[in-house]
Amino acid sequence: MYQYSPEDTKFLVERVDQFEKQLKRHLDGDLDAAKFRSLRLRNGLYMELHAHMLRVAIPYGTLNTIQLRALADVADKYDRGFGHFTTRQNIQYNWIQLPEIANLLRDLSSVGLHAIQTSGKATRNITADPLSGLTEGEIADARPYCELIRRWLNLHPEFSWLPGKFKIAINGAKLDETALRVHDLGLRLVRNKEGELGFTVYVGGGLGAAAMVAAETASFVPVEDILSYLESAMRIYNLKGRRDHLKKLRIKFLVRQLGAEEYSRLVDEDWKQTRDDLELKLNLTQLSELEKDFALPIKPLVLDGFVDKVDFNYSIWKKNNVRAHKISGHSIVNISLTKLGEAPGDATSEQMRILADLADQYSYSELRTTKRQTIVFPHVRKDQVFDLWKSLEKYGLASPHQGTLAQIVACPGGDYCDLAKAVSIPIATRVQQRFNDMDKLLDIGNLNINISGCENSCAHHHVADIGLLGMQKNGEEYYQITVAGETLQKTVIGKKLGPSVSGDNVVDAVEDIVNVYLDNREEEEKFTEVFKRIGIKPFKEKVYE
Amino acid sequence: MSDSNELTAASATLEAKVTESRPLDTSVLNKDNESIELVSVEQWIENVDEFSKLGVGVIVKPSDDVKLLQDTLNNVTLIALDFNNFDDGRGYSQAYLISKRWKYAGEIIGINAHLDQLQFMLRSGVTSYKLLQDYEGFDELDYSNGFSICYQAAANNSGLKEKF
Ligand code: HEM
Ligand code: SF4
Repeated sequence: MYQYSPEDTKFLVERVDQFEKQLKRHLDGDLDAAKFRSLRLRNGLYMELHAHMLRVAIPYGTLNTIQLRALADVADKYDRGFGHFTTRQNIQYNWIQLPEIANLLRDLSSVGLHAIQTSGKATRNITADPLSGLTEGEIADARPYCELIRRWLNLHPEFSWLPGKFKIAINGAKLDETALRVHDLGLRLVRNKEGELGFTVYVGGGLGAAAMVAAETASFVPVEDILSYLESAMRIYNLKGRRDHLKKLRIKFLVRQLGAEEYSRLVDEDWKQTRDDLELKLNLTQLSELEKDFALPIKPLVLDGFVDKVDFNYSIWKKNNVRAHKISGHSIVNISLTKLGEAPGDATSEQMRILADLADQYSYSELRTTKRQTIVFPHVRKDQVFDLWKSLEKYGLASPHQGTLAQIVACPGGDYCDLAKAVSIPIATRVQQRFNDMDKLLDIGNLNINISGCENSCAHHHVADIGLLGMQKNGEEYYQITVAGETLQKTVIGKKLGPSVSGDNVVDAVEDIVNVYLDNREEEEKFTEVFKRIGIKPFKEKVYE
Repeated sequence: MSDSNELTAASATLEAKVTESRPLDTSVLNKDNESIELVSVEQWIENVDEFSKLGVGVIVKPSDDVKLLQDTLNNVTLIALDFNNFDDGRGYSQAYLISKRWKYAGEIIGINAHLDQLQFMLRSGVTSYKLLQDYEGFDELDYSNGFSICYQAAANNSGLKEKF
């Protein structure tokens, strides 16, 4: 697996040293709160009233077990024994003490982890398909490109003080597990007619109050030209992006204001002048070294006469959580840390160590994190999946609800978050209680329900089959319902169903929507397919009748 | 104020607060310690011939369109980029365009500069700087040159091992 070189690690330490000096100046009264805020956010540090939150990047969502144990150690040594895996391949710690921050970051740098540019108006951690390298039909593993672009954006002299935050996702697989078109900039690996590798570029997507699907600004940028293209795309944003309106800082507002065509024209005009610049060509030697570093650690296996165990709970779990690996004899296993009624993504240090031990035993010491806040074991031998399941069961990590409707994505919401307009997790719990029949859950199949407590949309409700958005009406908690959002095959922002629904009625509404789906479903149709066929009306009528 | 309260307050008032009306600097000491008069981009454009003869410098605000200077750049004695607003990063792109793309040969001075941003300014193409007063007594080298390596091409990577 890829590891940082000594000079990369030295850079991480130098970054911590500099941040430590800045922190000291702030504590000594020599650096005001506003400037320090800008600097600390670029080092992943949020300051809340009672404690401080640190966001640590998990680049392209890939971790080795040494790194996961280091994250567990940090949870014990500097936090309260918890970490929170987020929807964008980061982990957050919520109870960090300021004087300890530099030591914490030094501990992480020794295993190649960092919090650089995980927040603030800069380019954020670049997310990749969590199944990069694993699925059939993939154009190319996105991670070597993520790593080269991540490096290139590290303390970029021109683009470290952008109008707003800037999130990039890269996908090389058939299905889009990254939701790249709701990112500020999304890159899709493609091949042109000549069979050459390049990227289709999408700019200006995002969720939040003004959810938008990114526009395609270039259908094919050859891989070696991607840095010069990105440079131009970001330069236009840096120079022309809105800085005057706090709610319009993201690039989506610039693209909307100029029009995608005009924005692309400006980018192309700038790009013409740098495209042939040798300094900006992607270094193909480094790329091929990285491709070797990210190569899969497994070979095809012939498992003669292998028959998997038959066990009711195992089969249910397997149906929802085990996927085919492109290398024969192997499987991809999805693991949820969440028990029903808990905040998704929370992991105790003990759970992290258990996962590290199991990954050493069953998954070549490698793990991935996903936007559904789950952990993936990327390469498990088919004849060891049952043993892995047994171990997961022992530790309470193999709930058969995983992968069903009952596995809801919910933000911390009103119980934990100052910005919330309404609660999220209690609604998730009530939905789970309503659908507590395993047969029914299996019949419904994989249906996503995402709940955000306010327009910041931390739970990505716009791109779920059923999305709930918390709001206030006359001092009471209400929920805006959206339906049929999706990202896997193509990107669609969910449609508003109608007037928002009170907290008392929202679970009934969810049940109504699910029932309309079941009543109209033909064969194996997914929720979005039924929606496309029958339209919004039957759902509306049922919910508001 | 905590980050989330700050954001709540920010969203409650949709006030635009970025454009501050601060009087522009009217002169600056160049690297040879000579005082150079500064004119605004608009003034320069209107009187290029006259100002070219006078040997004045041009002060560029973040909101200025530096493309307006491109054709007459070589008549300008000095360019002063104003970095006073800590979070407004347009100056770094302006520095790149003037220095690397248009190959301006004169001095590009970053004025009202912040200690913590020296490394970004210098690498973007700024050739000299004048810090704001708040930063007296700190070691500038910690911030102008705190790293051993860099990961991207830039106008000035001197002293850094390049890895890209
Ligand atoms: C109490 C805790 C939290 C607070 C105060 C908070 C605050 C915010 C705010 C203010 C934004 C919008 C920023 C902007 O668009 O400029 C945001 C976006 C976001 N947050 Fe959170 N958040 C919290 C917890 C979380 C958690 C736990 C997760 C992950 C599970 C998360 C994931 C995200 C994501 C993915 C976005 C970006 C949505 C987009 O694409 O626009 N947040 N958050
Ligand atoms: S969506 Fe809103 S309520 Fe939920 S965590 Fe994000 S900011 Fe808080």
